[in-house]
Amino acid sequence: MNRWRLILEGSWRSLGESDGRISLATQAALLFFLLTLSLTSASIQRYLADNLDQMLGSDLVVESHSPLTAAEETALRSQAQRVSVTQLSDITLTHGDKWARVKLKLVDDAYPLQGNLQIGDTPVATQRAVSAGPRTGEIWLDSRLATQLQVRVGDVLALGGTQLRLGAILFHEPDRIMEGHSTTMRAMAHAESLGSAALGGTKVRTRYLAAADASQQQAIEAWAGKTLPGASVIRKDGGEHPLASFWKRTENFLGLASVILFFMGAVALDMTNRRWLAKMRYRLAIYASFGTRTRTGMLMALGEWLIGFLVAALLAALLAALAHALIVAQMQVQFPGLQAAWHWQPAARTVGLVFLLLLALQVPSLIQLSRASLLSLIRNPAESSHVWQRLVWSFAAVALLAAAYSDNWLLTGMTLAAIASALALMIALTWSLIRLGDLWGRRRAGLLPFAFFMMRRRLLAKSAQVLGLGLCGLLLLFSLMLMRDLGATMEGYGRSHDGNLMISEAKAEQIEGIRRWAGETGSTVRALRPFVPAQLVAVNGQPLFDGSRQPSDTLATMRDPIRLSWTNELPLSNSLTGGRWWPDATEDWQQISAESEVMTDLGLNYGDRLTYQINGKPYEFRLVASHAYKPGNGSITFWFQVPQSARAQFDAGTLYMGSMELPAPAWDGLAALWQQYPTLSLVPLKELTERFDRTLDIVTRLTGGYAAMILLLALFVLAASVSGFSADDRQKNGLLMSMGLRNSDCLRLNFYEWGATALIAACGAVAGTWIAGALIYQAQFRLTYNPDPLWVAGVVVAMVAAVCLVGYLACRRSLKVSVRDLLTT
Amino acid sequence: MQNMIELQAISHHFDTASERIELFHGLSCTIRAGETLAIVGPSGAGKSSLLSIAAGLEVPSGGTVRFIIDGAEVDALTMRANSGFIFQQFHLMPELDAIGNLALPLRLKGNRDAFDIAARWLDKVGLRDRARHRPHQLSGGEQQRIAVARAFVTAPRFIFADEPTGNLDIHTSDSVAGLMFDCARETGCGLVIVTHSEALAARADTSLLLAAGKLELAE
Repeated sequence: MNRWRLILEGSWRSLGESDGRISLATQAALLFFLLTLSLTSASIQRYLADNLDQMLGSDLVVESHSPLTAAEETALRSQAQRVSVTQLSDITLTHGDKWARVKLKLVDDAYPLQGNLQIGDTPVATQRAVSAGPRTGEIWLDSRLATQLQVRVGDVLALGGTQLRLGAILFHEPDRIMEGHSTTMRAMAHAESLGSAALGGTKVRTRYLAAADASQQQAIEAWAGKTLPGASVIRKDGGEHPLASFWKRTENFLGLASVILFFMGAVALDMTNRRWLAKMRYRLAIYASFGTRTRTGMLMALGEWLIGFLVAALLAALLAALAHALIVAQMQVQFPGLQAAWHWQPAARTVGLVFLLLLALQVPSLIQLSRASLLSLIRNPAESSHVWQRLVWSFAAVALLAAAYSDNWLLTGMTLAAIASALALMIALTWSLIRLGDLWGRRRAGLLPFAFFMMRRRLLAKSAQVLGLGLCGLLLLFSLMLMRDLGATMEGYGRSHDGNLMISEAKAEQIEGIRRWAGETGSTVRALRPFVPAQLVAVNGQPLFDGSRQPSDTLATMRDPIRLSWTNELPLSNSLTGGRWWPDATEDWQQISAESEVMTDLGLNYGDRLTYQINGKPYEFRLVASHAYKPGNGSITFWFQVPQSARAQFDAGTLYMGSMELPAPAWDGLAALWQQYPTLSLVPLKELTERFDRTLDIVTRLTGGYAAMILLLALFVLAASVSGFSADDRQKNGLLMSMGLRNSDCLRLNFYEWGATALIAACGAVAGTWIAGALIYQAQFRLTYNPDPLWVAGVVVAMVAAVCLVGYLACRRSLKVSVRDLLTT
Repeated sequence: MQNMIELQAISHHFDTASERIELFHGLSCTIRAGETLAIVGPSGAGKSSLLSIAAGLEVPSGGTVRFIIDGAEVDALTMRANSGFIFQQFHLMPELDAIGNLALPLRLKGNRDAFDIAARWLDKVGLRDRARHRPHQLSGGEQQRIAVARAFVTAPRFIFADEPTGNLDIHTSDSVAGLMFDCARETGCGLVIVTHSEALAARADTSLLLAAGKLELAE
């Protein structure tokens, strides 16, 4: 009982010390961030699971990018109780001179299999439930779309030469889940209302909604896996929500961001640990002088640390619950009906993970503590600071966290490589500058040479301080810079883009129409590249989604057909990054080049055989080269490209993407072009920038919170740095004053030391940021790293000034103590 | 019951980067509970090392050390559990007040009456009115009195003191020494003191001189 009380008293006392408070605050901040992330994630996962049960509209959905053959459809119908076929396509709907991009759903008579449709007569009318979709010749629009097109029930809309009457305002479809979190405006019509040629675009998705019991669902899934390689199956029983993997990736990206935060936390904790360790070693040696065993002393030290962690966890949990409620309230726009709730299991898992990571950081201290000896009270044995041990354990802890969260190994590797390079650079700079300074000052008198002499004597401690501050500066600088540049890029998208209208997809005959229309309106077609939709289904004969690949954004995108383009020469917007590009006009059409990042994410190697499904038929290519996007020559690039000669082999229509420049009067004529070609996918830059603005808004909020966390931890690092070394500085100042130096001399000396420390740290941070920028900007965000020298210089000056100011304030406080007190510390 | 430490033909050295420094060779002596022993000698002779070996903190380079507690031979760990220490630098816990420092060893051993016993010892060393003072609010002599009481409070079989009056003036040294020897005789524990002070050594039952690697009775 007494020991427990001693442990509690020790923990309470340590909270009264600045090191203890910094350590608690750092742990609480890290736990708060990760707990908030886990709770939010758990709420969304639960929402998605509930959503799947209620909003699939059937027991099972088979989705394919090309319709099933008659035999396949018969096989499906034979295995299910009932089947409804729906088709989805992105089209442009027009009414008068108004137009809007719309996701059109064509349904059959069996639709919906389960649940009801909610419709009304006006966008604000009371909703009523109906059990069947629109009749032939009728179209239903969602309320936003009806408002935008300024149509009312009874009005007639023209769609590719077909006249459709607006029958109702559509509020809800029971298979809404399949649209996911998309906020695209929706329309619904009967499949027999339109001719088959009207929706011949690439974006037609065919969905087969099936009513089936659990065993039938299993059988259909197995059958689809074998016979429909490009299709995806979503089951109500034990299936995964289509948004689940999207959210998982978002969560992983945030997790990676937390790696950076954790790194900063580790730096602050390492600095406070230095004092904690000294205090504990002393305490354990005294305990040993009463006959207390080292093991008991160690357990008590561990107990104190554990109590500190529990207090931090409790504090973090309270704050996280609050933040979670606020975030959920914000996210209800994206996920209607999302509820904030406390989730014990994920919270406990997160606390457990952070506990293990913090324990890993504590291991070097505990090892050193186990060597605490009573002899140290009799003699003053030389103590090594175990810098390498601490570094290795810190790096191991961060790597563990990265492994737990990251799904993008390239980005993780680059981040860690940049950090490691910056650390090496800072170590080299510290050692060379301080040694050279000491060498320079040997035959000189004055405070500056003396400052170098002192730093040389405390080289290891100084290095730890520089590394801590430098690393913190690097992470802070890089995060802020990346946020600034990403924001600026998104905002400036319109300026850098070629043309003011994107042709995101057009068929060959539509291109002719576009050219004619461009000639009539004075517009120009800027760029045009051909492609066919192709779905990568296998690599070296193995199915792509056999579970052997790391999940990534790239792999997730491969669930849908991608755009396969052909060209003989390497396009101007690309550069060759590896392998060999095919010779001009080669007859060997089975060659392919992939974007280098795609290769990395999918784990592809040169010589791999890639099988694509194009219009239902398989085609095999040999990976011979890799390319990357080269800015400055247009914005169109493709993940995969094949030789020109391959085109003749494909049994599919050619599609195009490109860009146009429209003069102001031509915009009014766009509605006429769309009336002629409703599936033509043109995206005006204004609409594109609006979409970017919406994304930018979310990104800004997210990064704003993240920046606040980074700044908070940077503050802890600075406080820990000053607090951790204040005892040494007090002693040094006391000694100097006892030798006759004035207060102002001590302040100057202090200023030189902190100035040198901050300058080296700032140089390391800037160099590290440059390395990280050069590595990550191009590869991950398609940005060219062009740091503004003035901005960088400003940051260096601000960093040095902030560190010197804090050092100056700490020194002034310590100088207020008398010489006697200084000497007794 | 018999409590003693037997040092038989012990040798000790330590290595520096360039040479090996021999401290002593073939030393033998027996330390018994109920007796007081002072070890004197010039700086660097190895007095503190000899104390550390006798206390079971260090293993000698040669020879054997036997620890007998209650008539049975025990290992160094058990020996340490039955020992107390007094240091030149006092080594009180800066964050604890006087009574907290005194009660600490008792609390670590799970004694429920730790603070009552500590209060009695404070009274005994004449610092009752200083109970709530932190070490930095006490003089050197007061700190060392607390440290002496702290070493004795758990009734160990042996007390090892390394230059216990090295940081004190003559008058204070005398008072601390008196306290130390009184406590040792009162509790019947063995007291081993390493010191430069002839006056302190003269209070011990036996005084040994360690010089040039040899241990002999001091004059």
